[in-house]
Amino acid sequence: MRRFKDWSIPAVTAGFVAVLISYAGPLAIFFQAAQSADISPAMMTSWVWAISIGAAVSGIGLSLWLKVPVVTAWSAPGTALLVTLFPELSLNEAVGAYLTAAAVMLAIGVSGSFDRIIRLIPPGIASAMMAGILFQFGVGVFESLATVPALMIGMLLAYLVFKRLTPRYCLVWLLIVGVGLAVALEGASLDGVSVQLASPTFIAPEWTWQGTLGLAIPLVLVSLTGQFLPGMAILRTSGYNTPARPIVTVASLTSLATACFGGITTVIAAITAAICTGEEAHPDRDRRYVAGVANGLFYLIGGTFAGTIVLLFTSLPGEFVAVLAGLALIGAIASNVSAFAARKEHLEASVITFLATASGVSFLGLGSAFWGVVIGAVAYNVLHRRFTGRREEAERASDSAN
Amino acid sequence: MKHLEKGVSLRHAPADFIRDLNVDNVSAGIVAGLFGISASVIHVGAGTAAGLDPQFIMLWVIAYLMINGLFGLLMPAYYRLPLPMANSIPGALLFAAIIPVVGVEAALGASLIAGAIALVAGLAGVMGIVMKLIPMPIVMGMVGGVLLKFGLNMVAPLEHAIVPAAIMILAFFLSARFLRRVPPLIVAMLAGIAYMAFTGIDFSGVEFSVTFPEFIRPTFTLEAFLAYGLPLALILVGMETPAGVGLVKGMGYKEVPANAITAVGGFATMISSFFNLHSTCIAAPMTGICSSPEAGKPDKRWVAAVIAGAIFVVGAPFYGYVISLIEAMPSYFVAIVAGLALLKVITSAMYMTFAGGKHEMGGLFAFLIAASGLQILGIGASFWALVLGVFISLVFETKDFEFIRRAAHEPSA
Repeated sequence: MRRFKDWSIPAVTAGFVAVLISYAGPLAIFFQAAQSADISPAMMTSWVWAISIGAAVSGIGLSLWLKVPVVTAWSAPGTALLVTLFPELSLNEAVGAYLTAAAVMLAIGVSGSFDRIIRLIPPGIASAMMAGILFQFGVGVFESLATVPALMIGMLLAYLVFKRLTPRYCLVWLLIVGVGLAVALEGASLDGVSVQLASPTFIAPEWTWQGTLGLAIPLVLVSLTGQFLPGMAILRTSGYNTPARPIVTVASLTSLATACFGGITTVIAAITAAICTGEEAHPDRDRRYVAGVANGLFYLIGGTFAGTIVLLFTSLPGEFVAVLAGLALIGAIASNVSAFAARKEHLEASVITFLATASGVSFLGLGSAFWGVVIGAVAYNVLHRRFTGRREEAERASDSAN
Repeated sequence: MKHLEKGVSLRHAPADFIRDLNVDNVSAGIVAGLFGISASVIHVGAGTAAGLDPQFIMLWVIAYLMINGLFGLLMPAYYRLPLPMANSIPGALLFAAIIPVVGVEAALGASLIAGAIALVAGLAGVMGIVMKLIPMPIVMGMVGGVLLKFGLNMVAPLEHAIVPAAIMILAFFLSARFLRRVPPLIVAMLAGIAYMAFTGIDFSGVEFSVTFPEFIRPTFTLEAFLAYGLPLALILVGMETPAGVGLVKGMGYKEVPANAITAVGGFATMISSFFNLHSTCIAAPMTGICSSPEAGKPDKRWVAAVIAGAIFVVGAPFYGYVISLIEAMPSYFVAIVAGLALLKVITSAMYMTFAGGKHEMGGLFAFLIAASGLQILGIGASFWALVLGVFISLVFETKDFEFIRRAAHEPSA
């Protein structure tokens, strides 16, 4: 029973904190998607159940198998994408797109071509699209000043104070203070919140080309570049030379299984992963996998009581969720904008991608994330692609002369 | 007057102008001038949205070309630096919005006071302190957020006018890549005009006309000062000068007369207020164009700014003709041209905000706030973007402030 010897309180705590932060921040985006799709609490419960169970099963399995703290979660930029697509996109179409995306990711995982594909995407373009999707949430914080000024200012101040004092637990504290402010200022009532066991609801998938081009393909892109890329990087900088193949494969298999219950693509965590892979989880690197297992166990508990989580969020005003989601994403917006701004050699194409994605244009039934990538790819190829070696040298010379 | 920086001289300027002329600064000057004129779509748009009389909007723009252009001739000629003058765009939006509330005369009275405040600020030499307090990444974050809307408007026509929009944007990209000598903006405009000529466009409403600025007597009310004059003064001192000076410094010029720019802008704003114009100050996008490497050798780039000013002054009386041309164009045309013209500026603003690794958080907040267009106490987003951006940066990125770092190092040194 060597395994029990590996368990430690810091590792379990790290797993718990990671789950708590996921529920406090990124889940708020999922709730915004649910609001724009106008679905019932029962359906929302099924969604939360599906993403939590997906994260639990894949996280526990991978951590035990690889002996590495693999923290999995749902694709946060993917849920941000959903907010812009509902209600034009139907639930059935969304599920169809989840399945397509999972199948594509599975193919990428099994074939082991993850690293090769990542290299094909110009890094600036991918970050710019992510920034464009997330940008609207950041602006939404300040736009809500017109409707709920006191709540917005209070939460912004709380965010700043906690970000300064306890950056790690900032989101958790923000959730607590925000709920308090919503109750005190907006008259929200938590009386209806009770302990409830979740029961998943089946959604029949439907495949349309709007769903495939508008959701599935951008979903694969943002999951690869926004979750797997930083997630794998976090693992590697923490000293785990884990191959991407088993992780991508298992996460995609989980996605396939949970998709029909509203579970958006399961991926390796980016926002919370560092909590479980760092020194704080355990001084001994080989015993940190316990944090990944604990993280999964807490997701299991969260999924079982998904109904209670949904009740909590639905009894709070929509503006609260918008402000919480926006503040939770500030860090992600900053890192994506800096990531593309730092790539000066194809900065203009990145800015065009960012503009097109952030504009929210929809055309032929396809959302702006899709058009952002298309326009960005055209701009990249026209403006920056090197056609001959000589030109490259000439441009580099002129760049350095500037 | 001891705080006003000394320039070279105006006496030898005409001869030096001819000596320093070259292809690069002439073409940059023309692009900047055309850009400045095309920026009037913002005034026309904001004025129309606020329900202002088209006749007034025309007088407004003509005054801006004439007065901004005149000072835009003098400043670069005296300092031999690329310092084109224009008017404050956030100021223009505030101005258009306040006129229906307080009336034109009271709004201009508030402009007069704002100009006086800027003049005093420049004479008193406070710009050095202002510039240190507001770091560049935060200024540029705000500039990027304000200009972002024009970038987003450029993409919007893809929804309902995809063919001409795609043609114009592609023409811009292709010419930016392959025709280095021709300004891509001109190519994009020509492509759009060619498309319109091909599909048929009604120019029957276009009339040739000559108009000059008209004198108006400002009046003073407290309401107009609080709602518009004070924010304008803050914008002129705390935002326009830092943005313009920052752009010029960013291009490698060491000595930039920040106090003189503010004082002259304030004085010119006072004159402006007698001619239906809300402000005169250093330009931001035009400064970017005139001071960029595309304008040739650094010590000769001032010529580009002079040319831009000359284009303003000469073009001013005929603006009525230009505006009736613009009105005959479909709305997507103007939106795309304005967006493309600002693309480089948005790009460089984002680069300066986010690529340096300093004041990132303050810059991001400035960017988001400016882009959200929020209003607190009747003051627009661009001002709060700077205030909150600096505040947040002071809290989170204290070490990034140069004067704080210096203060911390001094005792040990």
